[in-house]
Amino acid sequence: MSALTVKDLHVKINESHILHGVTFEVPTNKVTALLGRNGVGKSTTLRTIMGFYEGTGSVELNGKQILGMQTHKIVQSGVAFVPEDREVFASLTVKENLSLAARGKNNDAAYKAVYDLFPELDSRAAQQAGSLSGGQQQMVAIARALLNKNEILLVDEPTKGLAPKLVTEVADVLAKVAQSTTMLLVEQNLALVKRVAQHVIVMDQGRVMYQGGPENLHDESWVHQMLGVSGGHK
Amino acid sequence: MLRWKYSRPLLGLLLLVLAIAPMFSANPLGKPGMQQTLAVAFVWGALALTYDLLFGFTGLLSFGHALYFATGVYVSCILINHNVVSWWLAAIIAIAVSAVLAALVGAASLRTTGITFAMVTLAFGEAGHVIVNRNFFNLTGGENGIALNADNIPQFWIGVVNTKYIYWLALAALIFTYAVIWWVTESSAGRVFSALRDNEQRVQVLGLNTQHFKLLAFVISAALAAMLGFVMLIAAGSAAPRFAESGVTIALLLMVVIGGPVTRWGAVLGGIFYSFASTRMQDLTQQESFKSIPKWIGGPIAEPALLLGLIFIFIVMFSPGGLSGAYYRLRLKALSRKSS
Amino acid sequence: MDTFILIGITGIGLGALYFLVASGLSLIYGLMGVLNFAHGSFLTVGAFVGYWIATKLGPETSMVDFIIAMIVGGLAAGLFALLIEQLLITRLYDRHIDQALVTVGVSLVVGAVLAGWFGNDLIMFPAPMWFLTAINVGGAMIPADRVVYIATAVLLLIGNWALLKYTRIGLIIRAGVENRNMVNALGINVRRAFSTVFFLGGFAAGVGGVLVSVYSNGVSPLIAGSYLIYGFIVVVIGGMGSVPGSFLAAMMIGVIRQFANYYVTGLGDFVVVILLAGVLLIRPQGLLGKVRA
Repeated sequence: MSALTVKDLHVKINESHILHGVTFEVPTNKVTALLGRNGVGKSTTLRTIMGFYEGTGSVELNGKQILGMQTHKIVQSGVAFVPEDREVFASLTVKENLSLAARGKNNDAAYKAVYDLFPELDSRAAQQAGSLSGGQQQMVAIARALLNKNEILLVDEPTKGLAPKLVTEVADVLAKVAQSTTMLLVEQNLALVKRVAQHVIVMDQGRVMYQGGPENLHDESWVHQMLGVSGGHK
Repeated sequence: MLRWKYSRPLLGLLLLVLAIAPMFSANPLGKPGMQQTLAVAFVWGALALTYDLLFGFTGLLSFGHALYFATGVYVSCILINHNVVSWWLAAIIAIAVSAVLAALVGAASLRTTGITFAMVTLAFGEAGHVIVNRNFFNLTGGENGIALNADNIPQFWIGVVNTKYIYWLALAALIFTYAVIWWVTESSAGRVFSALRDNEQRVQVLGLNTQHFKLLAFVISAALAAMLGFVMLIAAGSAAPRFAESGVTIALLLMVVIGGPVTRWGAVLGGIFYSFASTRMQDLTQQESFKSIPKWIGGPIAEPALLLGLIFIFIVMFSPGGLSGAYYRLRLKALSRKSS
Repeated sequence: MDTFILIGITGIGLGALYFLVASGLSLIYGLMGVLNFAHGSFLTVGAFVGYWIATKLGPETSMVDFIIAMIVGGLAAGLFALLIEQLLITRLYDRHIDQALVTVGVSLVVGAVLAGWFGNDLIMFPAPMWFLTAINVGGAMIPADRVVYIATAVLLLIGNWALLKYTRIGLIIRAGVENRNMVNALGINVRRAFSTVFFLGGFAAGVGGVLVSVYSNGVSPLIAGSYLIYGFIVVVIGGMGSVPGSFLAAMMIGVIRQFANYYVTGLGDFVVVILLAGVLLIRPQGLLGKVRA
């Protein structure tokens, strides 16, 4: 059974029909990349799965229907979210950002795993999150999501706005995390996608155009046709 | 189609009755007491309509509308008492002063929106209240207000027997206010006001200067409020600080919400109903039968704010379109049943 | 010089009262987006319950009696606030204008009920005799009650700070004031924090109500109105959602008002109101507030 099954998802936001019957499956324990040009509905899809928008259709998490549930209940069911623009709490310290996210009682193992991945978060525990750099904030955002047991990780454009060196660091982290988690990753950076993704979904104008393996990503003409960009970013 | 085809003729008939009945003493409208109550109710109905232009039509939640009403009351009173100009010129000057004041306050406060705008207007409204209450420049009479000097206004407005002339003044003011606001909202400017209420960004994208339109609505409603202030001065016989309180604006908010913010007649109805209910309830509590109710029930019921507050809460929770909204909903249901 | 000190400390005492009202208002707006016009009712409920307790505890009110009256008044107001939140506010989730309107309705109803039961005239509040004594501060004779107001406000500020900094619910409130949706996105039901904030705001207002009754020489449903307006002014100037901001603004406004009134009677209210307009037009987010997204 797939970790996440989305069927015929229609979403309207302020009278604009954004998603037109989106259907796809996210296989368990693999990284699925959600690709497409700007504005085709990738973020909207993630945010609808998170319960921020209402929609019709079906969204099943390991067989359990989560469409229509309240956001916090969806997250408690095992969905973790790393939003576009990070959205860390600027007025809270790094440690507070993390402890807010940790829901369970016995988190020591989870914290240790997170600090192994991001040693800087440990050394900067008392620093106000608002004073962190973009890359460090991204680390907080990802770390937050890893502190609980998750069925799926939704990651929205994690390398957006980051310098190339940081992009590589984030890519390293995501690759490591991906080994033990189901991930649905929205990302424009094709190099990163080629590195971590085992499954690919391409969207256009609120619909799914392609679902399948990542082989085609190496085909420049396919990439150009599907995504309107040249493949292989630095 | 939504309008009942008999509603306009019936309304005309009602206005005719309202206008003519006071001439004959035999009917309820012939009694000075009822005439006075209705005159005040008409003023509040019209004032509610001016507030509706701001809040219901343009989406501007102002907490300082009382300022312009009070300006009308006080400026007219001061000018008339000091015999500076004739009474009708005093009224016109009061309206002009209020309009200028609104233009200035509006230019400053309309740079903000939403809750901030509400707070800024509250601040300016309170400033006005403080000015009249503290008797600045020894002009405003402080807490007790100023009594209107009856020598300087026409004879036909003085004396209980002449209450019907005050009644007619108020009725005329209501009709005039309604006509002006009808004209404004039906005009192309009016359509912009409604568009502003729904989505200001879209209006800006059309290349229209939203500030100017908001300011226009603001000034028009303030000018009309000042005119109604003059009428209230004649009806009440004095200028008092209670006309400048934030409670007035809150009452207007209630009237508009109870009547229904989006329709014009809803606001008028809300205002008349509110005023009438408040006055009548005071009278009710004086009756003997009322005095026999145990105090812990009777005490609160005697306060108009209780009933009005409860109605208000009910409408906000369950029927946000107010009375007129509910009327149109029922009408829609009746129509769709007829056609199916 | 001692006049200066007297006016200054009286101003700070007044500011303390404003802060008790404003702190709840600030958090309620900051976290929930609700402009709570019923906050004045919380003050009045606290005042009347406190009055009732004080009279029940005997003809002479000792300091202990007074403190009990404050706490019980606060609890009553807090519970009432919680009731309003559960019955009315939650049903209007995210309809912010309607929420504000409903609180207006509540303030009218509560005012009417209390006026109906007790009338609008001031009922003398039996304060401890000690309040009438004067304390010598740097040559100025300060009425003792001012000290009580300031002490209570400082206690509240510290308590609030400790709650926000050291408890989980405090963490949730701080995060929620900044970004409500993201808190939900972390699997936390942020609405439970709403109830806490309403209760605490009501409690603070209720305690404030008891103190206001002493300051105003009596209990009456009519007093809350001006304190509510001042509460809003303090919250806006201090910054919505910032309790330290409210504290700062409250002190400033109390002192400014007293000094202005000293030179010209009645000038105080006017100056404060103009200050509000000025702040709103120049720096809409207030002293310590954040610019809301």
